[in-house]
Amino acid sequence: MKGWHVATIVALIGIIGLFYAGLGRDPRNIPTVLVGTAAPSFSGPNVQSGEILSFDSYKGKIIVLNFWASWCQECRLEHQNLLAINGEFRNYPDFVMLGIDYQDQPGDANGFLNSFGSSYPHIRDIKGTIAIDYGVYGVPETFIIDSKGIIRFKYVGPIIGPVYSQVTEKIIRPLLEGKEL
Amino acid sequence: MIIEIGYFAVIAALVVSIAGILAPLIGLKTGNPAWIRAGRQAVTANFILISLGCGSLIYSFLLRDFSVKYVVMNSNSRLPVFYTVAALWGGHEGSLLFWAWILAAFATLAAWIHWKSHPETMPYLLAIESSLTVGFLALIIFLSSPFERVFPALAEGMDLNPLLQDPGMVFHPPFLYLGYVGFSIPFSFALAALLSGRLGEEWIRATHRWTLFSWIMLTFGIIMGGYWAYYELGWGGYWAWDPVENASFMPWLVGTAFLHSVMVQEKRKMFKVWNLFLIIVTFSLSLLGTFLVRSGILSSVHAFANDPGRGVYILIFMSTVLILSFGILIIRSNKLKVKIEMDSVISRESAYLFNNLFFLIATATVFLGTLYPLLVDTLYGTKVTVGAPYYNKVFLPIVLIILILMGIAPMIAWRKASMENLRKNFLVPVIAALAGTVISAIIGIRQIYPLAAAFIVFFVAATIISDLYKNSSYWASHSGTSLLTGIWKAWYHNQRRYGGLVTHIGVLVMILGIIGSSAYKLEKTIILKPGDEFSLGHYSYKFQGLQDVQGINWEGAEALFNVYEGNNFIAEMRPQKRRYSGGSQMPTTEAAIYPRHMGDLYLSMTDITQDGWITVMAFQNPLIHWIWYGGGIMGLGVVLILFKRKRRES
Repeated sequence: MKGWHVATIVALIGIIGLFYAGLGRDPRNIPTVLVGTAAPSFSGPNVQSGEILSFDSYKGKIIVLNFWASWCQECRLEHQNLLAINGEFRNYPDFVMLGIDYQDQPGDANGFLNSFGSSYPHIRDIKGTIAIDYGVYGVPETFIIDSKGIIRFKYVGPIIGPVYSQVTEKIIRPLLEGKEL
Repeated sequence: MIIEIGYFAVIAALVVSIAGILAPLIGLKTGNPAWIRAGRQAVTANFILISLGCGSLIYSFLLRDFSVKYVVMNSNSRLPVFYTVAALWGGHEGSLLFWAWILAAFATLAAWIHWKSHPETMPYLLAIESSLTVGFLALIIFLSSPFERVFPALAEGMDLNPLLQDPGMVFHPPFLYLGYVGFSIPFSFALAALLSGRLGEEWIRATHRWTLFSWIMLTFGIIMGGYWAYYELGWGGYWAWDPVENASFMPWLVGTAFLHSVMVQEKRKMFKVWNLFLIIVTFSLSLLGTFLVRSGILSSVHAFANDPGRGVYILIFMSTVLILSFGILIIRSNKLKVKIEMDSVISRESAYLFNNLFFLIATATVFLGTLYPLLVDTLYGTKVTVGAPYYNKVFLPIVLIILILMGIAPMIAWRKASMENLRKNFLVPVIAALAGTVISAIIGIRQIYPLAAAFIVFFVAATIISDLYKNSSYWASHSGTSLLTGIWKAWYHNQRRYGGLVTHIGVLVMILGIIGSSAYKLEKTIILKPGDEFSLGHYSYKFQGLQDVQGINWEGAEALFNVYEGNNFIAEMRPQKRRYSGGSQMPTTEAAIYPRHMGDLYLSMTDITQDGWITVMAFQNPLIHWIWYGGGIMGLGVVLILFKRKRRES
C-alpha cells in the first residue's frame, strides 16, 4: 500500500464515521446554561479607548451584557435598539450596559461603532474566552444580570420587534424598580 | 389515478434499473452483445418511466389535486402556475425525483452518444449509471415518496415556502442539479476506464464536453443562488459561507481543478491517477452536497428542505459509492505506472500541478470550515459556528494565488520554459500590472486585498491581450491581411484556447465585482418614522410613508422612499414586508433595488412597529452587476469551446 492509499482510506473512514455520529444530533438544540447562576467575572480592554474594564467594578448593578461582532449581520439589525435601551435606562444609577466584541479585529469593531453609533462601553474578546465562560455559541446573544450578580435572562438572536418591549418592560424595568420578575 | 400511474412508473423504473445493472454485466461475462444492448434499452426505458413519474406529479400540481400529500405540502390554489410547476423541486421528495430524472436523462444521452465510439467501456458505464439510479429510486420509493395520498382529500394546500416563490428559485436548483448530476457521466466513464483497464486518454476525450457542460451549469447554479439570496433574503449580500452554499462550492472547486488537469493528460499523458482521483472526488462532493442539504446534519438557511430520518439512508448510499469508487481506484492504480516525469519546475505542466494543488487546498479549507462545527459537536458536545472571518482569512490568499496562476499557466511553455520565453511573455504584463496598481492606488484604492486584486486583474488581462495580439499579428503577416482578419484567424485556429481565455476574462470581471461590492460597500441600519430622512454615500433617502399592498397569494406593507442625489430626485424605492397566505405565515423581506452605475442602491425593511416606525437596512453595493456579467462571460467562453468546429482527422 502506498501512502496515498492509506490516507484516502483513513479520510473516508473518518468522514463517514463523523457523519454517522452526527446524524442523531439536532444542530439547533442549544444547551440552556447559566440562567439562574452567578455571572462569570471578566475583564478586558475597551474597544475604543483600550483601557482595561473589569466586571467586578460594576458589582451591585443591573447589567445588560450584549455579545456582538462587526461581521455579524443580525448584530447590525439590533444595534439601534440596543442604543435605544441604553437611552431609555441610562439615567438609572443602577443600570449598566456593556458590549462584548466577540472574535473581531479591533479596526473592524471600531469601524462598526463609528458608523452605527455607540453610547456604552465595549470590551474586546478577541479569543472568545469571555464568550466561552458565558456559553455563547454565536452572536448576537444578550444576558441580563441582576444586582446580586445572578444571570436572570438570556436571549439568543437580535433584540428586534416584540423582543424589544419584552426585554425592556418585563425584565429590565422590573429589575431596576426592585420588583420580582 | 394519474398519480398512481406515476408511482407505478417509478416502481417499474427501479426494477428496470436493477436489470440495467445486471444485463450489461452478463453481457460482459458471456460476450453476448444482446445483453449489453438490453442495458442501453434499460436506461432509455428508465428515462421514459421517470419522465412519466415527474409528469404525473406536475399534472397533479396543475390540477391542484389536494389528495396528493406532496401537492398539499408545496402548493395551494392561489399559487401562480409558474411556481406550481417549479414546486416539483420545491420540497424534499420532489427534488429527489427530479435528481433521478436528470440522472436517467443523462445516462440515456451518454449511452446513445458514446455507443459506437466506446464499445469496451459501455457495459460498465451502463451498469454504473444504473446503480446510481437504483440508489435514488429506492430512496424515493421506500422513504421519500412524492406520490403519497392523503385521505380524505384536503380543500386547500399549505403553499410553497414563500422564500421559494421567486424566479431565482425556479432556475437555481435545476442548474445546480444539472451540474451535480452531469458530473456523474465523467465519473462513470472514469470508473469504467478503471474496471475495463482502458486507462488511456480515451475516457478523458469522451467526457470533455460533459465536464465543461456540468461545470458551467454548476457555475450558473451557484451564481443564481447568490443572486437569489441577494434580492430575496434582504441582507444585502450574495454569499454567506452557509454550509449548503459551501456544499455546492466544493464540487465546483474540485471540478475546476479537474477541468484543467485533464489538459495535462491530453497533451503530456501525465496525471493519470490524479485525474481519476479528481473526478471521483468531484462527484463524491456532489453527492455530499445532496447529503448535507437533505439530512439536516448542519444548521443552515436552507433548512427548509431537510429530513434527518432519511439521512441514514443517504449516508449509506453515499458511503457505498465512496468506498466502491475509491476502492476500485486504489486497487487498479497499480496498473498506472507513468514513466514521464516533470522536465522542469518552470513549465506549463507544473503550473497546472500548482493550480490543482491550490484548488484542493481551497476545497479543504471550505470542507474543514463546513464540517468543523459538526466535528466539535460530535466529539465534545459543544456548539460552535464558523463564520465569514475564518473564510476571509484562509480563503482569500489562496484565491489570489490561483488567480496569479491563471495568468501564468496559459502563457508558459510545455515541458520547460526558457528564461527567454518567460521574459517575452511576462515582461509587458508585469509592467502593465504595476502601472495598473499604481493608478488604482492614486484613484483611492488603499486596502491590501483590493490592491493585490487590481495587480492580478491587470496582469492576467495583459497576458491575454498580448497573447491575442501576438497570435493575430502572426496570422495577419502570415496571410498578408489586416490585424482584424488576423484576430479572426487566431481565434479560428485556437478555439479551445481562446474560449478558455474568455472564461478567464469572465472570472476577472467577477473578481472586480466581488471586490467592489464587498470592500467598497456602504451600509447603515436605521429606525425611521414617516417624513424622516437619512443619507448614505452621495444619496439621501426620504421615507414618505407606509402603505398596504396585496398580491395574488400574499399581503404586506410597502415603505415608499424618495431617493435624491444631491438635490436631484432620481428614483422611488419601495421595500416590502410580505406575509404569504397558506400555512406558513412566514414574513418575507422584498428588498428594493435601484441599479446605478453598475452597482445597486439597496433598501430592505426589516421591522415595522405598531406606530408606524420602520427599521431599514440601506446598502450601496458598487460594481455588483459585474458579478453577474462575469458569470455571463464565463458562460460565453464555455459555449465557444462546446460549439467549436470538429477538427478534421489527419
